[in-house]
Amino acid sequence: MSQNNISVRFDILRNIVLAALAIIIVRLFFIQIIEHSNWVAKADEQHTILETITPKRGEIYMMDKGDPVAVVLNQTTYQIIIDPAVTEKSVIEDVIDKYAKDYVVADINDIYSKEGLRYAIVAKNVPRATAEEIANSGASAVWLKKTNQRVYPEGDLASGLVGFVNSDGLGQYGVEGSLNQLLSGKEGLLKTTADVNKVALSIGNDNIKIPAEDGKNVVLSVDRSLEKGIEELAVDAINQTAATNASVLIMNPNDGKVVAMANLPNYHPDNYGDVTDASAYINYTTEVPYEPASVCKNFAFSAAINEGLMTPETTYFNQGYEIIDGWKIQNAEQRSMLYGAISMKTALYWSLNTGSIYALKLLGGDPSSITQAGREKLYDYYYNKFRLGQATGIELIEAEGFIPDPNEGWGRDSVYANMTFGQNLGITMIQTASAFSAVVNGGTYHTPSIVEGTLENGEIVKESASDSSEKPESEKILSDETSAMMREMLVNNRNYKARAGIDRPGYAVGGKSGTAQVIKNGAYDDTMSETVGTYIGYVSTDGELPKYVIMVKMWGEGQYLDGGIASNLFDSVSNYLIDYYKIKPRI
Amino acid sequence: MKTRKHKSDLIILFTTLGLMALGLIVIYAIGPMRANVLNSTYGTDYDPNSFFLGQLRSCALSLVAFFIAFKVVPYKYLQKYSKPIMIAAIIMSVLLWLLAKMGSSLARCELGECRWFNFGFISFQPAEFLKLALVIYLADFLTRKKADIGKWREFWLPLLIVCGISLGLVVVAQGDLGSGVALIAIIFGMILMSGVPTRQYLIMIAVVLAISVVAVATSAHRMQRVDAWVATLTGGESSDSTYHIENAMMAIGVGGFFGVGIGNSVQATGYLPESINDSVFAIMGETFGFVGLCLIVIVFGMLLLRMLKVARGTAEPDNRLFVVGVFSWMLAQVVVNIMAMTSLIPVTGITLPLLSYGGTSMIFIAFAIGCVCQLSCYTSREVITNEDISSRRGVRRAHHSSRRRSS
Repeated sequence: MSQNNISVRFDILRNIVLAALAIIIVRLFFIQIIEHSNWVAKADEQHTILETITPKRGEIYMMDKGDPVAVVLNQTTYQIIIDPAVTEKSVIEDVIDKYAKDYVVADINDIYSKEGLRYAIVAKNVPRATAEEIANSGASAVWLKKTNQRVYPEGDLASGLVGFVNSDGLGQYGVEGSLNQLLSGKEGLLKTTADVNKVALSIGNDNIKIPAEDGKNVVLSVDRSLEKGIEELAVDAINQTAATNASVLIMNPNDGKVVAMANLPNYHPDNYGDVTDASAYINYTTEVPYEPASVCKNFAFSAAINEGLMTPETTYFNQGYEIIDGWKIQNAEQRSMLYGAISMKTALYWSLNTGSIYALKLLGGDPSSITQAGREKLYDYYYNKFRLGQATGIELIEAEGFIPDPNEGWGRDSVYANMTFGQNLGITMIQTASAFSAVVNGGTYHTPSIVEGTLENGEIVKESASDSSEKPESEKILSDETSAMMREMLVNNRNYKARAGIDRPGYAVGGKSGTAQVIKNGAYDDTMSETVGTYIGYVSTDGELPKYVIMVKMWGEGQYLDGGIASNLFDSVSNYLIDYYKIKPRI
Repeated sequence: MKTRKHKSDLIILFTTLGLMALGLIVIYAIGPMRANVLNSTYGTDYDPNSFFLGQLRSCALSLVAFFIAFKVVPYKYLQKYSKPIMIAAIIMSVLLWLLAKMGSSLARCELGECRWFNFGFISFQPAEFLKLALVIYLADFLTRKKADIGKWREFWLPLLIVCGISLGLVVVAQGDLGSGVALIAIIFGMILMSGVPTRQYLIMIAVVLAISVVAVATSAHRMQRVDAWVATLTGGESSDSTYHIENAMMAIGVGGFFGVGIGNSVQATGYLPESINDSVFAIMGETFGFVGLCLIVIVFGMLLLRMLKVARGTAEPDNRLFVVGVFSWMLAQVVVNIMAMTSLIPVTGITLPLLSYGGTSMIFIAFAIGCVCQLSCYTSREVITNEDISSRRGVRRAHHSSRRRSS
């Protein structure tokens, strides 16, 4: 081969080197300079993990003899997560067999039969100690994810009041639902560059960590032991009657604090998913407006007395019925001794609808008929003074209910006549009990509340418990005299109970029953085949202002339940209350 | 005939040492990340410094190999024992293949490919030895067959047998396509400079090319790589097979103009496969940016061009062929590795000489470069011109007559 030829071939090799290097440098320029921002964006997507830091959810306390006790707690448990592509089946089977048999949530064979699966939850609710053992077992590509679980040391106690936390960590129903924001706290944020196993790296300048703010521990004014006792009584009442449901509400009429709130039957919040009918979650005391029936006569009577238009001794002519707007409104009680001129006190005792209609007539200034002025006056008392048909502002999920307009719509007189004995309106138990508290406590309306405060470092902090910082202030709506007269009549209502020895001597126990027809197919069912029984009343030492207001409601689909049945539950509750709080009799 | 001995090529010496030092620095920075990824993913127990210490050991051994080749063993001995060396290299590969077949623990396999002898504390890759042996052997063979060049029986047939056995052992038995590419480059480069007729050379290229196309097209695994390459080039959909190349390009792309700096590579924390060996160029791209990569490419270019210059200046044909062999080996590894990382060609598992983590490959390439340095002491000062060899010899003899020795 000629020297010339060799030289040419060397030149070829040299040119290959130069060409290759040139191509590479051009290519690098393209990737690193021109496409740089594209790659940075792609890399950010791949490297950055954005995680919310879950705050600790606040616990829920009730009072017990003046001290807060926890009724809803948190427990840290762990999920076991595996990467089936890396963790060998036999390894994870060994781990599960050895430590976590009871917590398995998935079929291991299933997981390994799926191709390309890189993430599978194999066990849940694993306790910390077990999780630590698993972590130390050294199985590769097995992660433990911390989760918070709600624990209910009191079981199903007050479940309708407490509510539950769903699988997304969101409070549902009850206090968990209404105070969810307060209880859940504020999520923190973690934005960081991470390695391929999602472990945060210290590399990178825009890493962010905002710590989470834990939720507040909420203390309810409800007394745990009282609640337990009352719920047992309510269960007994359900068992002994045709009722399927019972709600009991006990509050202090002097400050509006709720001390017991029972909705039976309870469900177990641990297994909230087992409930077949979502109505089981409902807190009937605040969420469901209904017609408390004759219980409302107290409000119509109070209005007329407070306006100076009547006293318990005022008489009217009872003929057993009234015809208004062409409707015949009858009394339930038709014994002949009641016909003719009777006192309002008697009318309340026998719960005569004609009596409360007479109070409405008096409000209008014309004892012989219902007038516009009377309707407007009653509306003013019901809606503005007793705050019926509007949310009270209690720290729970509330329904508003409704009070019909005094001037609009057809048949206003009959509607308002019905309203005097608690029909043709929709109000909740908490609205009714709060209004009734004003009737008996000397005439002051207190906004009801169920939150005592938040628990911080073992101390109850009063403020900032409720989301609704603007709570309506207490308001004097009735005169002391009105209230005194109402108490007198309410105690009178129960003199047969006192005679029977149910109400003990030395105590003042007043009350009023209500039996509400249920609307079937758009009209009141006159056959009374289904009714709701209500009873409201108060207990106190004789001669003193009321200490507790008790409201009881009992019902069941297709069942006749009257105020008398409800009053029996009231009786046992009132006596239980006297014993529980050791209320002293007047000697 | 011997050319007068002079100082060795300092550029080759310093670029080699510089690249080794750079590789060491990068492994120092990303070795702990690699250890962490392996430990947390596979439950292994690597010390954070184990990869750096491993590379340090490789560098030390490579320096020893380099200086032995450079200063201790005269090249003529290698030339003298070229046949036994070649036979030993082939035997080693055959032995590995047999051990792997028997399932012996002495053969270390990864992902089903058995490429290493495992002696417990140390492992050894016979393919690297085979590359060096082939360079030494071909340099001698092609020189010895000068008179028979181009003849089928005397030249092409033995060549075909030796090269075929070598390639078969590396590509088929060890499944090491990267080393196969390096071997082919060595063979092509050395045959080109042996003086075969151009027509025969072109036929040889055509035949090898045809065989390669068939080999790739008939292998699902290789076609997958080609498909993945096409997908990344054309912006096709990402998949498991495009993951490697995408992450390599991501590392390079993120580097930008100046890079993210030493120790700040995120791609090395487990995203980029083979980050310390085959993909180290991409990590360097992330770390040092366009400026850094250009410098590295230019340094490799200088090293390659200097080797070519040494080859041109070497009067002895077998010495020249040896240098061309080392040059071809180096060129193939550098270009194929970098082009794969930048998606100019499909991914082939091939290390970047002197920079990648790995013992055997660095030691043998260092030894080979050491030999080149030794031979660089015997180049003629002038570049070969169009003169005829005989006239040139005359000039030389007169010029260096005082130091003349018989050859």
